[in-house]
Amino acid sequence: MSKNIPLVDVTHLHAFDTDGAIREAADNVERAVSRRGLLRNAGFVAGGAAAAAVMPGTAFAASIGPIDKSILNFALTLEYLEAAFYKRAQENMNLQGELKRFAKIVGDHERAHVVALRKALGSDAVKRPSFFFGSATRSRSTFVATAIALEDTGVEAYIGQATRLRSDKLLAAAAAILPIEARHASWIRYIAGLTPAPATFNPSKTKDQVLAVVKSTGFIRS
Amino acid sequence: MDITEFDRDEAVAEAMHGLQEMTRGTVLKRAGLVAGGGLAASLLPSGLAFGRAAGGSRARDIQILNFALTLEYLEAEFYALALKHSAEAGFGPKTLRFAQVVAQHEAIHVNALKSVLGSKAVAKPKFDFKRTTRKISTFLLTAKVLEDTGVAAYSGQAPRILQAAVLGPAASILAVEARHAAWVRRLIGGSGNRVLPAPTAFEAPKSMEQILEEVGATGFITS
Repeated sequence: MSKNIPLVDVTHLHAFDTDGAIREAADNVERAVSRRGLLRNAGFVAGGAAAAAVMPGTAFAASIGPIDKSILNFALTLEYLEAAFYKRAQENMNLQGELKRFAKIVGDHERAHVVALRKALGSDAVKRPSFFFGSATRSRSTFVATAIALEDTGVEAYIGQATRLRSDKLLAAAAAILPIEARHASWIRYIAGLTPAPATFNPSKTKDQVLAVVKSTGFIRS
Repeated sequence: MDITEFDRDEAVAEAMHGLQEMTRGTVLKRAGLVAGGGLAASLLPSGLAFGRAAGGSRARDIQILNFALTLEYLEAEFYALALKHSAEAGFGPKTLRFAQVVAQHEAIHVNALKSVLGSKAVAKPKFDFKRTTRKISTFLLTAKVLEDTGVAAYSGQAPRILQAAVLGPAASILAVEARHAAWVRRLIGGSGNRVLPAPTAFEAPKSMEQILEEVGATGFITS
């Protein structure tokens, strides 16, 4: 992780709930204000620009609405977690061959996602929590099992949030990250000897469901 | 291959030029898009039925769904044919497993999209896969192209969708197509990853026009 990303000693769950962003987001799914209206108010011109072009290097936090902001911070937290996990594994484990390549390539992707989300959020970006991965980065089998859980959860999280994003630009960005997470999930499942695509329709998870999964791992240091 | 031949009832041409705006009632009735998430419930076991408020139009959603259906028809037909030829093509157990699982997924995607679109569903084109299913090597390379194309297509269309009841399932299918793409890339690349399952940090979305041009260039669609 880049050294200019501050470490904090609160859990991201805590940080999240402090301003009630999660609750607010969850409670406002059924809303009266039209998404288009919000975009106009925010001075956006809705457009289908390519996410990869839009997202990295574009700071427009001031014009992102509160719900989209909380969704981006939720995604950022998951990306922090994934990036830190692969970094730790690369440092602590003597990974070889394909697993070594997987950790390097996927770790690079997750870092790129972190950078993109932080740039989009600007000063509103949630701080990077500190993590404790324990046995997850101590053996090949626990590393693989954890990577599968993190990647599958990441896919489910992005699917769950896609319909809640109001900005077309941000939705385009999410639609460019979501399939990458799915490719990671498929790859590591193949390595593990599992079916890479186990469902005809990929399940989704709500923010609360994802946070419960993340919390249960104990990876967030408190 | 001429794009105009892409679909004999001109549904694709219609899609490319934009569907005529219809009244809300007509569209809802004809496409079976009942407000309140009935669509998502019919597509997916888990509900994704939030009300996505605005952006795009219901007519454009139908256009996008028909575009997706055409790609799914193509994939489903390709894998069904590949399974018929699997013995002579020399599929090993790993390739056979991939073809079986993905064939089933694509067939179900077709059925789901058709049921959503109802009478607005585009007709299935005729295909000629030109012996690509007769050899394991050409099967895998073609599968890679089709899956990567499917991912780029869904990734490009997602932000253009109006209704959450359409977007949710589309995002769900996008993930599955990406899993297929990584899977076949891994089969081709082997454990040395000569072909990377996830070659970039961000997917490069493609427009409907780009996709139709690429699909047209394959010559797989004959009428």
